[in-house]
Amino acid sequence: MVEIVLGTALAAIGAGLAVGLAGLGSGIGQGIAAAGSVGAVAEDPDMFARGIIFTALPETQAIYGFLIAILLLVFSGIMNPSLTLNVSQGIIAVGAGAAIGFAGLGSGMGQGITASSSVGAVVEEPDMFARGIIFTALSETQAIYGFLIAILLMVFAKILGG
Amino acid sequence: MVEDITTLVTALGFPSYEIFLAVMILAIIVIGAIVVITIIRPVLGFFPYTYPNARVRARTGRLFNEKEFSEIVESQNVEEVKNYLRGVPDYAKYIDTYPLEKALDSQLAETYDLIARITPDDSKDSFKFLLKKWDIKNIKSIIIAKEAGLSHEQTVDLIVPFGELSNKLDSLIDTDSVEEVLNALEGTEYPKVMEDAIPVYKETGLLLPLEASMDKYLLENLLKTSATPEDENTTLLHNYIGTMVDVANIKIILRAKADNIKYEDIEPYMVSDGYEIREWKLKELMEAEDVSGVISGLEGTDYAPMLSDAMSEFTQTGSMATFEKLLDGYVVKTAKSISLKNQFGIVPMIAFLSRKETEVKNLKIIARGKREAGFSSSMIKEMLV
Repeated sequence: MVEIVLGTALAAIGAGLAVGLAGLGSGIGQGIAAAGSVGAVAEDPDMFARGIIFTALPETQAIYGFLIAILLLVFSGIMNPSLTLNVSQGIIAVGAGAAIGFAGLGSGMGQGITASSSVGAVVEEPDMFARGIIFTALSETQAIYGFLIAILLMVFAKILGG
Repeated sequence: MVEDITTLVTALGFPSYEIFLAVMILAIIVIGAIVVITIIRPVLGFFPYTYPNARVRARTGRLFNEKEFSEIVESQNVEEVKNYLRGVPDYAKYIDTYPLEKALDSQLAETYDLIARITPDDSKDSFKFLLKKWDIKNIKSIIIAKEAGLSHEQTVDLIVPFGELSNKLDSLIDTDSVEEVLNALEGTEYPKVMEDAIPVYKETGLLLPLEASMDKYLLENLLKTSATPEDENTTLLHNYIGTMVDVANIKIILRAKADNIKYEDIEPYMVSDGYEIREWKLKELMEAEDVSGVISGLEGTDYAPMLSDAMSEFTQTGSMATFEKLLDGYVVKTAKSISLKNQFGIVPMIAFLSRKETEVKNLKIIARGKREAGFSSSMIKEMLV
């Protein structure tokens, strides 16, 4: 068995937090949006395409979390044994994972709620589509902040490009 | 760097930084769990409403707006009204099958049925109980038809094919008298509901006690089913149903005062517990000398200002319709104000049901206006809720 140093093990926790929490938020958000979309399509089959768009929006948070987790796995030495991280880098990796994880959790759930409301608004008043998309996209910003901070943490801790 | 961390960790009293890290990870897990639970709990509260609310909002979008109502009011006759409704999928399937009023009621009943089926468990009891409204309407229609000696076909035209008793309707319609209808209801809850009213009917021949006892049963139990469990959704539903109960009680009292009827005579028909207007207040209102005394007694409630404003019209016309229209409007207004409180739970369903009721009520007013001579479009518009 390959011996994993403590820093790398900490980065693995960071990767878990990144994909786990972001995926949780994204999953709940997408579930809420999908439930609303199914209701809308049940009443108006023409809502299918627009329902899919609103349901897909909360997917992005899981993608951000997944990306950060992959980067951590690759650059911490788990997927590439020639690399290792020291303890400080490992702690920073946990911070990076937590940054995108928690940001993705809140952003994904918030976006799901807005997406579901927007689906309701669009099925009631079709002209609301563009405005619904704008309101729903607003919740994306928190996930982007988390993603950026995670990347910056990894770059300046020399996990990425070190 | 590692040395710095080790010094810091030692200064904090941890024997090694591995233990410090273990504690830190544990702290992250605990904080994470608290954050996740805190965020998810409220979401789980409204999550079950997401699907029904989308369906309800789709139907809300299909309700007639002011412009469409104006077009319907401008119809030349009932046939034109029916033609208009044939172009609306929700109504179209009933318009050619049933007479207009029955078609409208059937569409409304179908809407109630849909809501009762798709609503989440915590409000299901109330909406399922609300379906009894159609059983009660059908029983009332049948006993009125029997009393008036209507034919089988005429009676069928009054019946809405929805509700728990829909399988029993044929046997109820096939009876020859009110007493036979009451006997045919054996095995349902209604003989017990009407147990006090049946002797009064047998003695006086009046149908009112039978009808009132069923109305009371519906409202009283709706109020009870919406009282539990106590969460935000059921509280809002309870508020709406409570307003309906108070309005029903005020209508009975105003009518009783206008007709000089004693409290003892109307008490059996009132929902005695009330909602905001409790039993003691109802008694106090009934002790008032006349209609204006009842309105003065309501001082301090939301009902007093609007009823006071309508008092002069009542004095001139002597018609209760003015008060009744205002009180019905107040129920609609309550649903509207509830609809502004929370968009994620039960509220869209309450708001939709209220607006749907109003739409059907208005369509019936238009149909009646077009059927009877002497009603201009502007007069019909005045009558709309």
